[in-house]
Amino acid sequence: MSVPARRITLDEWDQRYAELLAAGLAEPWYGGPLCRHVEAGDRRLQKLRLDNSAAALRLWNFLLTEEQRLRRAREQGWRILGTLKDLGTIPVMAYALERVVAFYPDGAWWLPCIMENQTGLLELADQLGVDESFCPVRAMLGAFVGQAHFPLPDLLTCSVGATCDDVSAIAQRLVRLGHPILWWEMPHRRRPEAGEEVVTLPGGFAAPACQVAFVHAELERIRTALEEWTGQRLSDDRLRAGIRRANQVRTRLRELRRLGYTAEPCPLPALEMLVAEMLAIHFCSDQVEAIDVLEDLLAEVRRRVAARQGVLPAQAVRVYWVNPVADLRVMNLLEEVGGRVCGSEYLFCHALDPIPEDAAPLEALSRCALADPLVGSPADRAERICREAHEFAAQAVVVSRIPGASHCGLEGLVIADAVRTRLGLPVVEIEVPPITDALEPNLRTRLEALVETAG
Amino acid sequence: MNTVAYCNPLVPVEWLGAHGLQPRWLRLPRRGPAGSIADPPAAAAPSVRGNLSVDGRRGVCPLAAAAVDAISAAAVDSAVVLTTCCDQMRYAACWLERRPSVPVFTLNVPSTWQTPASRGLYLAELQRLGRFLVSLGGRAPANEELARVIRRFERARAALLAARLGLSARAFAAGLLSVREDANFAAPQEAEPDAGLPLALVGGPVPEADYVLFDWIRHAGGRIVLDATEWGERTLPRAVDVSRMQREPLAALADAYFGSIPDVFRRPNTALYEYLGRELAARKVQGLILRRFLWCDLWHAEVAEFRAWSPVPVLDLDAADSEASSAGRTRGRIEAFLEMLR
Repeated sequence: MSVPARRITLDEWDQRYAELLAAGLAEPWYGGPLCRHVEAGDRRLQKLRLDNSAAALRLWNFLLTEEQRLRRAREQGWRILGTLKDLGTIPVMAYALERVVAFYPDGAWWLPCIMENQTGLLELADQLGVDESFCPVRAMLGAFVGQAHFPLPDLLTCSVGATCDDVSAIAQRLVRLGHPILWWEMPHRRRPEAGEEVVTLPGGFAAPACQVAFVHAELERIRTALEEWTGQRLSDDRLRAGIRRANQVRTRLRELRRLGYTAEPCPLPALEMLVAEMLAIHFCSDQVEAIDVLEDLLAEVRRRVAARQGVLPAQAVRVYWVNPVADLRVMNLLEEVGGRVCGSEYLFCHALDPIPEDAAPLEALSRCALADPLVGSPADRAERICREAHEFAAQAVVVSRIPGASHCGLEGLVIADAVRTRLGLPVVEIEVPPITDALEPNLRTRLEALVETAG
Repeated sequence: MNTVAYCNPLVPVEWLGAHGLQPRWLRLPRRGPAGSIADPPAAAAPSVRGNLSVDGRRGVCPLAAAAVDAISAAAVDSAVVLTTCCDQMRYAACWLERRPSVPVFTLNVPSTWQTPASRGLYLAELQRLGRFLVSLGGRAPANEELARVIRRFERARAALLAARLGLSARAFAAGLLSVREDANFAAPQEAEPDAGLPLALVGGPVPEADYVLFDWIRHAGGRIVLDATEWGERTLPRAVDVSRMQREPLAALADAYFGSIPDVFRRPNTALYEYLGRELAARKVQGLILRRFLWCDLWHAEVAEFRAWSPVPVLDLDAADSEASSAGRTRGRIEAFLEMLR
């Protein structure tokens, strides 16, 4: 019996899970009812509306078992690489090696939300003098100190330079806490000058060839370090294979975004779209499984699109969303006030663009790394946002500020101005802390006003 | 003469001056007690698009906001050079690019420093800056001319450092700004050294508008013997390698700046601690005042580190805006700190 697509509560998921099992649901090792994650501490799930498909169940289970996956890797003798900040480049290199798993410790920034501040991570960061004037990524510091979440990586890399000060400052503290870091430089992407050789980057930004060459040299340094660390040769052939696998993830996400953001009615909620997109940056610590998870999700979305099924009322107001939210609940909130996400730039759009396969592998990865929206001018980023918002027929734009983040002070002004000027769309800027319960009336009002204005 | 404004010590003043342009250190607007700008920038129009001011916007470092205002208000500069040393200023540079009447050059200063590639990037950026200066009407200096300018500024810095012990902290800070603009610096005739407990002032910039801080420290019985703030003595470059001066003066200049200025944004920032460890001991410092702006993650994150590392007591002073806006609180903390040290 076909079950209509809809967003359901965690309690409703118990019943739904039983139905799926009865219908013969086969799950991977990390499968199981979602309620068990709440018992393990992921309390925020109780406040969320979740997609009711088996594919979404697999997605959530995949996401919420990452720590177990990392611990299994450790037990099995795999090497664990912690990559900070670059969001999507170094993991492609790491997963080209055997028996290596790479993840972003900065991903701990979502733990205070998922566990509703029961982790003590922010309190640990407070004790170390890294208070709420920093971005919620400070939870990472608490995670390293508390050692109750991810296993400590065997090697840490961090891109610095044209990156946010929060991560750079906190990473420096990690070094003094006894976690050495291999730093690598990410130059501020600038526009090419007259007469300079120009490289068009994935996603459309342009950069001087000398900057691509610089990043290439930095990635060569990382390659050498990875080879010494693992005792394996990270040949171009291996890298090419790794890039092909990463592109399998990106290709599926590209199609998922195309369908998820354009089909009417909306075939997949914003929350699941956000989680799916996050898989691009480090594959949730299992590259092969990430491809299968996305394949499942894509099949579900295709089925819904073909059946004209959606999870939201038809004609929900189309909103382009800028920056990831520290509280996942806010993605639900937009849908509750009559909006839908029709496009997104969650700070890692460069991890969604296909990696060129016709270039030498490190050259290709250098171009991707330099396409990071945060390493260039916010005007460039605004340009990309305008282009996508137009392509996805957005009716409004939300710029979601990350509290304390060094880039959020000014970028919102640039982006909002560009959107208003070039597209004539309404824009609202909101700030989303890890738990928004106390602020929800205000956030709801702002989002309602936006949706009413644009609708 | 065309002036080029700047406010980061990793922009070599010699390189600006050797192009025949007048370097001008940015003077930041005085701010009112509630954080409002007491002297509103002339260029700030009331319309949303015309008004570049970001003062008071949540999350924006007050220094970056003040720099935006100062640059918006200045009608005299041919261009402004900002750097990537902190994210806030990098974004301020991008924000200012919306005012096409004053070209903004963003100098990419690498955070890493151990590799030849980083040093090479810094040198390449100086060369790019040189082309920019020429496009403003500057002239590309011959090696001899650059070497001559370098020597002049080195003499000025040496004269200032030689006069340091005879100057008040305020006068020394003013002198430090002078040698970032003008190679003809002459130490004040009337020496007026401070007296009191020897202290180090460490942290981000102390703009002229906040020099009252020096007075408060002095009145509380302190004497700044080490100005290790961002615009202080810490960020003066070492002398340029004489053996390279004739052959490759720009490369030698780049090495002198990039290779010797310890700063908090460097990764790793070990050189900052090495410098402070050396200077605190040499100057017999008895207390350390760390002064930082609100929203400055780079300095803020180091406060706890300083407390653990410092051989002397540390006072953390955060500046939400100008010192005038929080005078009572800051003075009280300084006085209590010095009482505790006695």
